[in-house]
Amino acid sequence: MKKLVKIPLILLGILLGFFVVTFTVYIFNLDMKMMTFIEPLLEKWYNSREHDQYL
Amino acid sequence: MRDLKHLLYFENLLQEANNELIARAREEGKVCVAYTCENVPEPLLNLPGCFSVRLHAPHTGSMDIATYYMTNLLCEPSRALLERAVEGGFNFSDCVITPDGCTMMNRCVENMELLHTMGKDNPNFFHEYMEIAFKNSETDVKLSVLQCTNHVLKPLHEKYGIDVSDAAIRQAVADHNRLCRVIRAIGDFRKGDKPRITGYEFHILTLASYVCPKHLIIDKLEETLEELKTREPDEKPWRARVLLVGSEVDDSGFVKLIEECGAFVCADRFCFGSLPGRTEIALTDGEDALTQVCRHYIRSCQCPRMMNQEKVYSRKQYVADLAKEYGAEGIIYQQVKFCDPWAYERMLGSSMLQHDYGYPVLSVDRPYNIASAGGQMRTRVQAFVESIEIKKIQKGGKA
Amino acid sequence: MKTVEKVVNTRKRAGEESPGKIYSDKLKVRARREWRGVKDTFYDYTRWLYLLSVLGKFIMVPRNIKGFFRYRWMMSYLFVPHGMDKFTVGLRDEALRIAHTSFNFVIADVTQAIANCFRGDRRVGNDKAYSDKCVITDENSMVTFMMGFDKEKVHTILREVPTMFASNIFHQFNVMHYLDVAQLNGIPGDVCPMPEAEAGISIEDDFCVLGCCAVQNNTTCDGSLMGNGIIAKRLERQYGIPTFQLATPLRHKEPDVLEYAADQIKQAIEFVEKHTGEKWDWDRYFAAAKRVNFATKCRIAQLEINSTPYPQFFGAAFSLYNDTNYMGNSGRDPEFIKIDKKLLALAEQGYKAKRMYAKEYRHRAIVWGVQPQYVIDMLYWMVQCWGVMPLADMLSIINTDMIADEDTPANREQAYRDMAMLNMEMIMRNHTHGGYKVLLDDLWELCEKMNADLVMMWEHMSCKALTGMHGMFEEQARERGIHIMWVSHDLCDPRVFTRNAIRDQVNNYMRTVMREEPLDPSLEHIPDDEAY
Repeated sequence: MKKLVKIPLILLGILLGFFVVTFTVYIFNLDMKMMTFIEPLLEKWYNSREHDQYL
Repeated sequence: MRDLKHLLYFENLLQEANNELIARAREEGKVCVAYTCENVPEPLLNLPGCFSVRLHAPHTGSMDIATYYMTNLLCEPSRALLERAVEGGFNFSDCVITPDGCTMMNRCVENMELLHTMGKDNPNFFHEYMEIAFKNSETDVKLSVLQCTNHVLKPLHEKYGIDVSDAAIRQAVADHNRLCRVIRAIGDFRKGDKPRITGYEFHILTLASYVCPKHLIIDKLEETLEELKTREPDEKPWRARVLLVGSEVDDSGFVKLIEECGAFVCADRFCFGSLPGRTEIALTDGEDALTQVCRHYIRSCQCPRMMNQEKVYSRKQYVADLAKEYGAEGIIYQQVKFCDPWAYERMLGSSMLQHDYGYPVLSVDRPYNIASAGGQMRTRVQAFVESIEIKKIQKGGKA
Repeated sequence: MKTVEKVVNTRKRAGEESPGKIYSDKLKVRARREWRGVKDTFYDYTRWLYLLSVLGKFIMVPRNIKGFFRYRWMMSYLFVPHGMDKFTVGLRDEALRIAHTSFNFVIADVTQAIANCFRGDRRVGNDKAYSDKCVITDENSMVTFMMGFDKEKVHTILREVPTMFASNIFHQFNVMHYLDVAQLNGIPGDVCPMPEAEAGISIEDDFCVLGCCAVQNNTTCDGSLMGNGIIAKRLERQYGIPTFQLATPLRHKEPDVLEYAADQIKQAIEFVEKHTGEKWDWDRYFAAAKRVNFATKCRIAQLEINSTPYPQFFGAAFSLYNDTNYMGNSGRDPEFIKIDKKLLALAEQGYKAKRMYAKEYRHRAIVWGVQPQYVIDMLYWMVQCWGVMPLADMLSIINTDMIADEDTPANREQAYRDMAMLNMEMIMRNHTHGGYKVLLDDLWELCEKMNADLVMMWEHMSCKALTGMHGMFEEQARERGIHIMWVSHDLCDPRVFTRNAIRDQVNNYMRTVMREEPLDPSLEHIPDDEAY
C-alpha cells in the first residue's frame, strides 16, 4: 500500500522537478543563451573546412 | 585608314533617337513600330507599310524623372529610355511592342504607358506586351507564333491595316535578309590580321541598322560595303583583338574607348549587335513564313533569359566559336550595371570561357553612357590589353 | 486622406504590458522569455517543449549529426526556439495559438525536409535507394507537377528551403557567407540576394547532393532564373543529376500563354516519370486538388475575418504558412487539412470574442512587396508599437479560384491547365510579374475590400519588378488618398539595412507624416541588430 502511494509521489516529484528545471530554462531563455556560446565554436569549425568551389 | 564616306552620316543619325530618316519614313505614310528588345522578330515589324525603330537614348545625362519612377536600382538603359520618353523624345512612335523579356525593360515600357508618354494625338496608338520563349523547343516556337500573331500582327492589321499575309512576311524577310547580308559582309572585314573596318565603325553601322528605317539606309550600307572592298587597311597592328560580349551597347563611345586602348573589337556578341542579330533567315516554301521566322529567332537566340541547359552551354560555345572565327585573343564580358540576366551570364560566361575554353577574359560592368565612367573603364581595358600582351610574350609570340 | 475608425482594446493585457523589456543589448538572444500571464505562458512553454522534442528527435539520428557538422547553414537550427519567439512576440490568446499551430507545423515540416535531405545526401546518409526516388525542386517553386505522384514513393525535395530560406529566419547572419562566396566569384552585389545566396551555396558545395533528377523553375524573377543555370551546371556536370527547366510564362493573366504553360507541366511530369520510374496517378491528383480547394476556401475565410475590425491570423505566420501550404505542399499532404481547420476554428473563436493584440488599432494596413527574412517579427512589432494592423500581405494574396477536382476525361485535360495556372500564379510572382495591373490595381482593390487606409510597402531594393513601379505606387496612392509607407531592405542581407534601420523607417513615418506617438514607446528602439 505504502509502495502504491510512493510511486505516484515519486512520479509527481519527477514531473515537478522536470517542470521546475525546464521552466527555468524556458523563462530565462537559458537554452538560447547556451547556444550563443556554441555558435562561435561551430563557425570556427565550418571556416576550417575545405570547400570544393565549382562554377 | 581613310575615313568611310558615309560614316559621319551614320554617326549623325545616331545623335538623337528621333533621327531625320524616321520623319522621312513617316512622311511616306509608313507606320513607326517602336520596340525595345531583340527577342521581337524584327521582320514582323517591317512588313510593307511599317518600319521598326529600336528605342535608344543617345547622350543620356540626367535621369531624375525616370529615377523617381523606377528608383536608381533599375538598369540605366531602362531609365534612360523612360526619361527620353517623358521628355517626348519618342513621340514619333505609332505603337510600342515589347516582350516581357527582362523585368526592367518591361517595367520601363509599362511606365511609358501609364504616363501616356506617347501617342497622345494618335487614337490608333497601342502598347503590346509579348510573352517570349524560354527554351528552344517546338513548343516554344508554337508559343512564339501565337504571341506574334496576337501581339504584333493582329494589332498592326486592325489598327493600321497592315498586310500581315504570308506573302507580306516573306517580302519583309527578303528585305531583312538583304540588310543582314550587307552587315555581315561588312563585319567579315574584321577578320584577318589587317582589318579594313574598326570595331567602332562597324558598331555605328550596325546600330544605325536597328534605329533607322532600313529601306532608307540600305543603299548607303551597300555603298559602304563596296568601299570596304578596296579600302587600304592600316599597317600598324593592333595590340590585341577582343570579342565584346554582353548586354546592349548603345554608346559607340564604349567601343571607341576599347579601341583607343589598343584592343581591336573584332566581333560583337551583345544585344542588338550583329552576332547573331544580323543573321539571314532561310525560308522554305513548305511551311508558313511566320513559323519559320519564329523558329529562326528561337534557334539563334543568345539571350541569357533562355533557360534550358542546352541553351546555357551553347551560348558559351557560340562565344568560343566566334572568338575562333574572328581571331579574338581575349574576351570582354560586359554588363550594364543592374542588369540581372547579364550579371549572372557574365559571371558564368567569363568563368567558362576562361577555364573551359582558355581565353583571357575581362569581366566588367558599366554605365549606359560610358562618359560617366570613362576613366575607370579605360584603366581596366588597358590592364587587360597588357595582360594579353604578356601572355603572348610568355607563349613566345610578338607583343 | 482616407481614415479608418480607431479600435480600442478594452481588455487588460495578460502578463507583462510590454515585450520591450525582453531584449538585451548585451546578448545575441533575448534576456528572457515573455511573461504572458499564467495560462498563455504555460501554453507557450508547452509549445517550446514540443519544439525541443522535434529538434531532439532529429538530432538523435547519427546521420543528422554528421550533416550538422558538414553544412554551415545547419548552424541556424541551433536557434529555432529563438526564431519561434519572433513569431509570437507580444501575442496572447487565439493569436498565440494560431502562430504556434501554424508555425510549429512549418518547423516540423522543415525539420523533416532536412532529415530527408540528409538521408539521401551522398555525403551524409547516402541512402541510394531513397535518393533514386527523390526529385529536387526549387525553393520558390509550386510543386503542382508532383500532385499526382505517391509522396511515399516519389519524394519532393525542396532543398533550398532549409538551406537558405528558412535558416535565414532563425539566424539573420547565416546567408552573408554565401553572398560573399557568390560575389567573390563575380556575381554583382546588386542582384536579389536570395538567388544569389543560393548560387553561393551551390558554388561552395553546401547543398545536399541527392535525387535522381531536378526540376527548376523561373517562377520568381530574372535573378532566380539565372541563378538556376549555375546550380544546374553543378548538378548536371559534377553530380550527374539531370535537370529539367520548367518554363513558366510571365504574363499569366493572358489566356494565350496557358496552353504553353500546361504543356510545360506535362513535360515536367513525363520527366519525373522517366527518372523515378513511378507513374502519375489521377486519383491521387484529384484528391490533392480537393485539398488545394479546401486550403483556398480556408485562406479566403481567414482574409474575411481580417477584413473586419478584429483580424486574427496575421503577420509572418500567416504569410509563411500560406507559402508552405500553397507552394510547398500543393495539396499533397492531408495533414495540412487538419491544421487549416484548426487555424480557422481558432480565428473564428478570436473574432467572436473580439480579441485584439495591441492597445488600439489606429491604422489598417495592407502589406505589399516582399518581407525581409531577418526581420520576420516586424509586423507584430508594428501593431504593438504603432497600432498599425497588418490585414493581409502580398504573399498571401494568391489564387482564389477553385480548380477541377472531379476525375472526368475533360477534367484530366483541365487539370494540366489548373496546375499551370497555379504554377504561373505562384506566391509573389502573381503580383510582381504579369503586367502592372496585378501589382498596382490588385493592391488598390484589396485596400478597398479590406478597408485599409495605409499601405506598408516593403521596398526590397534588389527586386526590380517592385522598385520599377515606385513612382506609380506613389502617384496612385496619392490619387486614392491612401498613405503609403516605404520600408526599404535587402531581403536577407542585414549589412545593407539593419533591423533598426528598417524599423526606423516606420518610426520616422509615424512620427513625421502621421504625427503620432507610439502605443508602446519601449518598443520603438529594440537593441537586436546583433541578435541572431
